[in-house]
Amino acid sequence: MANRGKQKLNLTIMVLLSAYLILPLGLTFLYSLFQEWTSMLPTGFTLRYYVDLFQDPGFYLPILRTLIISTVPVLLCTAITILAMYVIVVHHPKWQKYMQIFCTIPYSLQGVILAISILALYSGLPLPFSDRIAMLVCTYCILILPYIYRGIQNSLNAINARQLIEAAMLLGYKPLAAYLRVVVPNLLSGITVSFLLSVSLLFGDFVVVNIIGGSYYPTAQMYLYKMMFRSGQQTSAMIVILFALTLLISAGVLVLQQRNKKSVAHKQEVADGFHTI
Amino acid sequence: MLNEQALASANQSSIQTLQRFNGFRAKRRTYLLALLPFIVLIITYELAPLMTMVIRSFLTPKTGEFTFANYAAIFQKKLYRDAVFNSLSLSLFSAGIGIVIAFFGAKAIYESTLKRRNTFMSILNMTSNFAGVPLAFSYIILLGNAGVLIHLGRHFGISFLENYNLYSFSGLVLVYVYFQIPLGTMLMVPAFQGLKQEWREAVSLLGGGSVRYWFKVGLPVLLPSLLGTFSVLFSNAVAAYATAYALLGGNFSLLPIRISEQFVGDVLQRKEFGSALAVMLMVLMVGVTILSNWLLKRAGHQRSTYGK
Repeated sequence: MANRGKQKLNLTIMVLLSAYLILPLGLTFLYSLFQEWTSMLPTGFTLRYYVDLFQDPGFYLPILRTLIISTVPVLLCTAITILAMYVIVVHHPKWQKYMQIFCTIPYSLQGVILAISILALYSGLPLPFSDRIAMLVCTYCILILPYIYRGIQNSLNAINARQLIEAAMLLGYKPLAAYLRVVVPNLLSGITVSFLLSVSLLFGDFVVVNIIGGSYYPTAQMYLYKMMFRSGQQTSAMIVILFALTLLISAGVLVLQQRNKKSVAHKQEVADGFHTI
Repeated sequence: MLNEQALASANQSSIQTLQRFNGFRAKRRTYLLALLPFIVLIITYELAPLMTMVIRSFLTPKTGEFTFANYAAIFQKKLYRDAVFNSLSLSLFSAGIGIVIAFFGAKAIYESTLKRRNTFMSILNMTSNFAGVPLAFSYIILLGNAGVLIHLGRHFGISFLENYNLYSFSGLVLVYVYFQIPLGTMLMVPAFQGLKQEWREAVSLLGGGSVRYWFKVGLPVLLPSLLGTFSVLFSNAVAAYATAYALLGGNFSLLPIRISEQFVGDVLQRKEFGSALAVMLMVLMVGVTILSNWLLKRAGHQRSTYGK
């Protein structure tokens, strides 16, 4: 009896919390579908705000900019970290701890401090350094480094990289080729999750882009911020579209995670099979 | 027999590989080139900016002499003193409320059936993406001057809702708590999985009830995770910028907003003072982490002396 009471209480907590969390989101969605909401209930159902957005040529460019700036740094950061991990895995396993320290510092810096410290250092310098877009890309690389590093490190932990490389070298590969052609393909499925997480993080970024990008690189978040002061309904529609895009990215993460879990379970089964033999 | 031979030859060849490995390593150090892009990135965009900022915070503008004046200025001017105080109290409040709700949320997940657990986790996952400018805006249409709930309050004569002011400290706490809950709950869920059913049974065998179980066993076991999650939530709030910026612009004194003003404004840039403010923000974040570690150690020490 007591157990049933407890289940009821837990269900109530979860329902209340879910309602609390979904309320602002659902309301924004409703708000974007009606012309007016000045009394109890909204009036004048319309899809006008979405049509207007999609017909506005100025709408696509910021979205495109956001998509570019949230993928290029992630690709760059992943490539740089994978290359660096080659030296750690193959030649200097003891450097692992330094790598970890440098890769986790940005996590405790957060966006504001990182962005202003980079801006303050480079904005006065000559061109390659003071170029805002380059600055933005590099700042993002550092910002997502902890997540990318974790992803790579966790996948490396799951496979025995040194053994794989030794095996490949027996077959005549040079160490770097062995790493790139045998170890890296094995890391890919694990890296994809942290890759997509980083993309969705950058996709929603406003702090760094507002401080460093400014008017040099107006992304969708900046466009949204400016729109806030013009039309409530239009802004709501924009929020719904951006949120749907973010959900698409995180749905990708979820699907991949499920698949990874399955493949890990499968590998485990295979390994268990070996033991019993 | 065959196996032994195979094993021996495998050993032999792996020794050879290792020798080749080491020979390769001794001959050329070109492999270090692979580390170069990483080192360049870390030095130019992580260490150099961070160090210049710390150094700059101790310099006098223009002359470049060593000084503590930038730090003294933070506490001399009310505007900046308020920024530190507001940031600190906003983060403590929102992290405090957040961790309590996260505890009950994660507890509910831990005690529920798999299906309900998955549904609730998906909702948390989804809403954890809802932050920054979009979140601020949706609270404006919910509780702003012409917000939907304000209309409802007027209609039903609920004066609390009718007169609610979102553009205030309590409004900020309300919005900040929103993004703390999904994060806090998702961080607390794994900790609950460490609680063993046997402990609860042992407590009830010894005549203890649910309350006694939670205060004597559950909470002490969860303490490290609770403190750790609290400091994550605190850092998350103290450095949050987008939500407050979109909600209040510069009209409410908070550290991240005051910091960026010192660097981004075209009219008057005060990099030295801004750096001191930024170091202040880092001190707050690191301070809470150290404090929670210290509390944890103390609690651990107490527990171990109980044992003796």
